[in-house]
Amino acid sequence: MAYFAAALVSLLATEALMVAGYGYPVDGLRAPGTLVVVHLAAIGWLSLLMAGALFQFVPVLVNHPLAGAGLTLPALLFIVVGLAMLLSGFMSMGGVLETTAFLPMGGLLLCLGFAMAVTAIGLTLVRSRPLPLPAAFVAAGLAGLVAAVTLGFVFTQVLGGTTSAPALVYIAAQGVPVHAAAGLGGWLAMCAVGVSYRLFPMFLLSPDPQGNGNRVAFMLSLGAVTVAVGGGVAALLAAWSVSSVLLVAGLVAAGAAALYSRDVVNFYRGRRRRELELNMRIAALAFASLGFAVVLPIPLTALVGAERGIAASVYLVAFGWLSGLGLAKLYKIVPFMTWLECYGPILGRAPTPRVQDLVSETAARPWFIVYFASVWAATAALAFGSAAAFRIAAFGTLAATAAIVVHLVRARMLSDVAEGQRFPGGALRPSLLYSIAPGGH
Amino acid sequence: MTDYVELDVRPILTGGGEPFGRIMETVASLKPGEGLRLLAPFRPVPLFGALGSKGFTHQDREIGGGDWEVLFTPTAGPAASPAEAVGDRWPTPLMHLDNRGLMPPEPMVKVLGAVEAMQAGEVMEALLDREPTFLFPQLTQRGHEWRGGFDPDGTVYRLLVRIGTGS
Repeated sequence: MAYFAAALVSLLATEALMVAGYGYPVDGLRAPGTLVVVHLAAIGWLSLLMAGALFQFVPVLVNHPLAGAGLTLPALLFIVVGLAMLLSGFMSMGGVLETTAFLPMGGLLLCLGFAMAVTAIGLTLVRSRPLPLPAAFVAAGLAGLVAAVTLGFVFTQVLGGTTSAPALVYIAAQGVPVHAAAGLGGWLAMCAVGVSYRLFPMFLLSPDPQGNGNRVAFMLSLGAVTVAVGGGVAALLAAWSVSSVLLVAGLVAAGAAALYSRDVVNFYRGRRRRELELNMRIAALAFASLGFAVVLPIPLTALVGAERGIAASVYLVAFGWLSGLGLAKLYKIVPFMTWLECYGPILGRAPTPRVQDLVSETAARPWFIVYFASVWAATAALAFGSAAAFRIAAFGTLAATAAIVVHLVRARMLSDVAEGQRFPGGALRPSLLYSIAPGGH
Repeated sequence: MTDYVELDVRPILTGGGEPFGRIMETVASLKPGEGLRLLAPFRPVPLFGALGSKGFTHQDREIGGGDWEVLFTPTAGPAASPAEAVGDRWPTPLMHLDNRGLMPPEPMVKVLGAVEAMQAGEVMEALLDREPTFLFPQLTQRGHEWRGGFDPDGTVYRLLVRIGTGS
């Protein structure tokens, strides 16, 4: 739960900075302010969310307990402190702070923190071979994370002045798109796809996908990441054009996204549970965002130029698909883990609330709708290059996120459970941040 | 000297089947003191833990062509009660639950509810859609034993729970 809490705080902070007009589109794409916002979102929010979720769900994917569970808490501390130093380092690039020592230190701490997380999840996967397909996606995602973190580490050392080896300086100058592709496409997207291949049939009671479509989707996405990262690094070392390599990777990734979308549509169509829970209805909006993000770049690039097209599309992937899906799934995971923790020991022995008694879906639904409406509005604002409209839309996103966080805290604290049934004899009282469930930090 | 019952799961896997249910059936049918000789096309690491919790030690060796032979040998643990020493056979299930098609966590709630109504030593059988990962720790915590695996067709997970004496 501490991972989820740190992630949500980072998300709120990111959105507040966007409302304040910090970073893109008020500043340039590579301005220090933009770097602060992007890394707060990518590391603080999405990566911590993903790591926290993987610690919970990789054991479910492979039916094997988490190896190195003792690493999860130190990893969180290293990542949070490293991120704080990294952001301070970016601010010092913008002249807000005087020293340059933060960047290399932050890069090192982030490296160590992510190495611990990768070790815990990776060991669990290694001990569970042969891997089922969803877990194979996660394994590929870990490789993407390693690539993104390694490149990031090189950047921090070059920018912080601890190295001036010409090859590394060149990588730092040209490698940003590869770093971003590895982080967003390799790590976050691969893991999100892998986890959803297992969780969606579970939540929707739908049959596992038939045929080879998902295997082809895996091979295509693996190919896309390999081209983007392997080809990208090769292009950096050989001084080829990085953007043409990434274009190829992008086209392959679009094919993978199409196959994945087909499987997701089949999950919804083939479900045996007619009445959808709020988290699954909201997840559909997140998938719609992914669809738009895949389709939009080409017309947008033609209409408004590559920079705005890519910025709008990346924003939509990060905030529409990944963040929207993340918030929707948190709205399922937090009540479930809390229910299991508090009432698990007395199930069958005393009347207990149901999982759905921990949430109030009617009260939460409007805020999820506001969230997606404002994210789509912000995407349009980015495409049309209107900084003012982007900030207004960002305010909607911030308000909706804050309200959703309140609902998550209420679920965690059992506030929506009728008072008489909240603590039957023997039920455990939840702590907001610490979870006794295995891997539940 | 331990006698070993041989089970070759390579044909099952070649045919695209899921051997776990078959392995568990074979293990359940072993006579006291009998072990299992398993032949598999890979090193079946997950089984080491699953059978370890049922009181088997394992010795594995590669037999060429990427295939493995694993000997699972029963240990006479000091914790074994007289009832268990008579055999690792479980009595016929008294309670049957069909929890397929239920929304999680309903299957778990039903199993735990039924478990409370049963006497020590009795066995319950439950049919599930998937391996109940979150249920196992709850059963262990309450002192019950469990065995489970997918049927050979891979669509039904068959769980057996033997009620423990203390919890």
